[in-house]
Amino acid sequence: MGTKMADLDSPQKLSGVSLPEGMGGGRCSEISTELIRSLTELQELEAVYERLCGEEKVVERELDALLEQQNTIESKMVTLHRMGPNLQLIEGDAKQLAGMITFTCNLAENVSSKVRQLDLAKNRLYQAIQRADDILDLKFCMDGVQTALRNEDYEQAAAHIHRYLCLDKSVIELSRQGKEGSMIDANLKLLQEAEQRLKAIVTEKFAIATKEGDLPQVERFFKIFPLLGLHEEGLSKFSEYLCKQVASKAEENLLLVLGTDMSDRRAAVIFADTLTLLFEGIARIVETHQPIVETYYGPGRLYTLIKYLQVECDRQVEKVVDKFIKQRDYHQQFRHVQNSLMRNSTTEKIEPRELDPILTEVTLMNARSELYLRFLRKRISSDFEVGDSMVSEEVKQEHQKSLDKLLNNCLLSCTMQELIGFYITMEEYFMRETVNKAVALDTYEKGQLTSSMVDDVFYIVKKCIGRALSSSSIDCLCAMINLATTELESDFRDVLCNKLRMGFPATTLQDIQRGVTSAVNIMHSSLQQGKFDTKGIESTDEAKLSFLSDCTKLFSQGIGGEQAQAKFDSCLSDLAAVSNKFRDLLQEGLTELNSTAIKPQVQPWINTFLSVSHNIEEEEFNDYEANDPWVQQFILNLEQQMAEFKASLSPVIYDSLTGLMTSLVAVELERVVLKSTFNRLGGLQFDKELRSLIAYLTTVTTWTIRDKFARLSQMATILNLERVTEILDYWGANSGPLTWRLTPAEVRQVLALRIDFRSEDIKRLRL
Amino acid sequence: MSMEDYDFLFKIVLIGNAGVGKTCLVRRFTQGLFPPGQGATIGVDFMIKTVEINGEKVKLQIWDTAGQERFRSITQSYYRSANALILTYDITCEESFRCLPEWLREIEQYASNKVITVLVGNKIDLAERREVSQQRAEEFSEAQDMYYLETSAKESDNVEKLFLDLACRLISEARQNTLVNNVSSPLPGEGKSISYLTCCNFN
Repeated sequence: MGTKMADLDSPQKLSGVSLPEGMGGGRCSEISTELIRSLTELQELEAVYERLCGEEKVVERELDALLEQQNTIESKMVTLHRMGPNLQLIEGDAKQLAGMITFTCNLAENVSSKVRQLDLAKNRLYQAIQRADDILDLKFCMDGVQTALRNEDYEQAAAHIHRYLCLDKSVIELSRQGKEGSMIDANLKLLQEAEQRLKAIVTEKFAIATKEGDLPQVERFFKIFPLLGLHEEGLSKFSEYLCKQVASKAEENLLLVLGTDMSDRRAAVIFADTLTLLFEGIARIVETHQPIVETYYGPGRLYTLIKYLQVECDRQVEKVVDKFIKQRDYHQQFRHVQNSLMRNSTTEKIEPRELDPILTEVTLMNARSELYLRFLRKRISSDFEVGDSMVSEEVKQEHQKSLDKLLNNCLLSCTMQELIGFYITMEEYFMRETVNKAVALDTYEKGQLTSSMVDDVFYIVKKCIGRALSSSSIDCLCAMINLATTELESDFRDVLCNKLRMGFPATTLQDIQRGVTSAVNIMHSSLQQGKFDTKGIESTDEAKLSFLSDCTKLFSQGIGGEQAQAKFDSCLSDLAAVSNKFRDLLQEGLTELNSTAIKPQVQPWINTFLSVSHNIEEEEFNDYEANDPWVQQFILNLEQQMAEFKASLSPVIYDSLTGLMTSLVAVELERVVLKSTFNRLGGLQFDKELRSLIAYLTTVTTWTIRDKFARLSQMATILNLERVTEILDYWGANSGPLTWRLTPAEVRQVLALRIDFRSEDIKRLRL
Repeated sequence: MSMEDYDFLFKIVLIGNAGVGKTCLVRRFTQGLFPPGQGATIGVDFMIKTVEINGEKVKLQIWDTAGQERFRSITQSYYRSANALILTYDITCEESFRCLPEWLREIEQYASNKVITVLVGNKIDLAERREVSQQRAEEFSEAQDMYYLETSAKESDNVEKLFLDLACRLISEARQNTLVNNVSSPLPGEGKSISYLTCCNFN
């Protein structure tokens, strides 16, 4: 049945569904004809029918909505029609405007092209005027040169030539092509001839003037060279003249040196003085002639002049240094020192004192050279700076590089570096040998806290570093600081170590004391030498300060800059670190002194505590009050012993020693307490004794000793308890501000010392 | 010193003949530069670079010494406090290699016996002009018990590696050393203990 119905229905539905498709209404049913045809079940057909009906309704609604819009669209169409004529008007206007714009544009272009032509014409006119001027100048020069040369007015002639040289070459070329070409050609030739002639004359006259040493004439022609474009030649010739002056003066000075009497006041530094004269001479030359060079040759030329001068300077330095080396046996002495420095050398050693003058002279020579080189650097740099204000960074760097090269690679620098190289080795030898001597001649005077070598050694080290400093060479100074560090840290420290070891085997206390205290004091002052922020003020410390301020002065002069400062700081901090090594040594020494000298004395005194009964009745307790059985005597003994140390030790060392001593007392006392027995009153007695001891020790030390006696105080507290359980009032949660230094096991051990406490009670305690 | 921000401080000194490229190695490592036409070093130069190794700040104080003979007495004074020495030669210069035993004698004489020495063959960018074979150098360094590395400061080959490896070795040596040193506890006032390899024990 269901199928039949479906069959019947389907043709109707088909047409209904296909209708919208035919209308092309954009919307097409989801249900295709094929689908409907394939349906056989009534139920399904009904469902499809339903959905189709729904779709039909939707389509209808849409149609309605479209129809509603018809009115609006129509009214809009009417408006559009009305606008038609207006549009035609606008089109006409627009065409007119376009025409006007094109016209204006053409007009503007016409005008501007004329302006451009005018401008070009103007420029050409200017050029023409310029060229006419140039040609006039050229003529003027041609005439001028001839007259000037005839009148021997070389300045005027040179000025004309200069003008000619400044002219644009193309101008000259062009003027040749003009109407008067041949005439100008001839004139130019004349001018060139004049130029050559003038050059020849100036060179010749300059040569004559230099030969005669006629400074005004020399300077006169020196000024002409740059006008002829001969800057380099002028500078080279002029410096040749200056070099000759330098050389003759230097030779004179060197002859004077060789004739100097050895008893002369300056004989010991005569070579340094000679170098100084040489440098001063050159500096004066630079000073005098810099303005001329600057004015007539322009900035940046001083470098060239000095480059030439430096060659002569190097030559003279070589001579002086050669003489120095020969006359002072410098190399010989160096080799001798080198041999002596070999640890197992057999050659006879040089007496260090003999080296003293030569070392001083070398440092002085170097200081003078550094000063001179610094002067040159400053002058050349500032001269470059004036000229380089407009140039690129690269050119500046190029200039800086050539300056560095000149000053770093000149023979003077190399020679001085060589001398300083030898100097360092010799100064090292001087320092080492003199220190050895000071150690060998060490004496101890009664009443003095330190033996002589302490001051001596540091005086020597200070002297050597000071001398290296006076050389003005930062590398030399750093090297000597390094070597001083080595000397103090290894050799001198070994000496102190040996002293310490030798101090102990001595039999009597007095000997031990003397040996150790002197050694210990040595170290103590060494410690102060090395430290910057030491509180104790000693002479060595002041030396250090003055030394530092000297260095600061050196830096304020701008030597080496930041780099050098960093280098120096690093080396100096190494030297300062030596004080830590000495401090370690000092501590070792004091510990040793404490255990060998103090302990054997203190131990028996403390042991007497064992012979004093702390198991006492009221009566004995009162008796103890009147006749102290132990502590007063002990304090007295300690006082006597420490008094001896106090007299021969410096306050800081004495303080460290008392610190060690109090620790020793605390440890020893604890040992004997644990060996004793107490009752309630005995505990009270011990508490009293401990308090007096602490009170006494507090007066003799600046250290806080409460901490060292904390364990003993806590033991006294325990021994003073009424009952075993009372400990709980102080223990654990009830301890309050008290920090227990005793372990629970130790607390039980101390409690057990009280004979009136039952061991079961103690065991029962929960700690 | 304890105020400064680093865990280790080491001194490294570069030595070797003139012109083998010590300054260039240092410049390359500290500034990342290769300045051509470098003039000869005068005396000693001093550079600092702080590197981080496994989270620890290591400050390297690098002393670049002049190779020329006349500065020998200055440069020698730096040997003793050095934690490490970088002995440099130029692989394109047989002479600089042949001088090595002389340098080793200097080290023997002046440096601390705990110093670490590294042999460096520089300028491998100029391989076509090589005069010292790698094998020869390796055999030599092995015989002398030295670490060996070939570098090029110009091409930046192995330069970082050289310094960083060295820093690592210095750290581990310093660690071992502090273990030994801890036996004698530092004194109050010394502050944070900076591990110097040169610390010598009092005995």
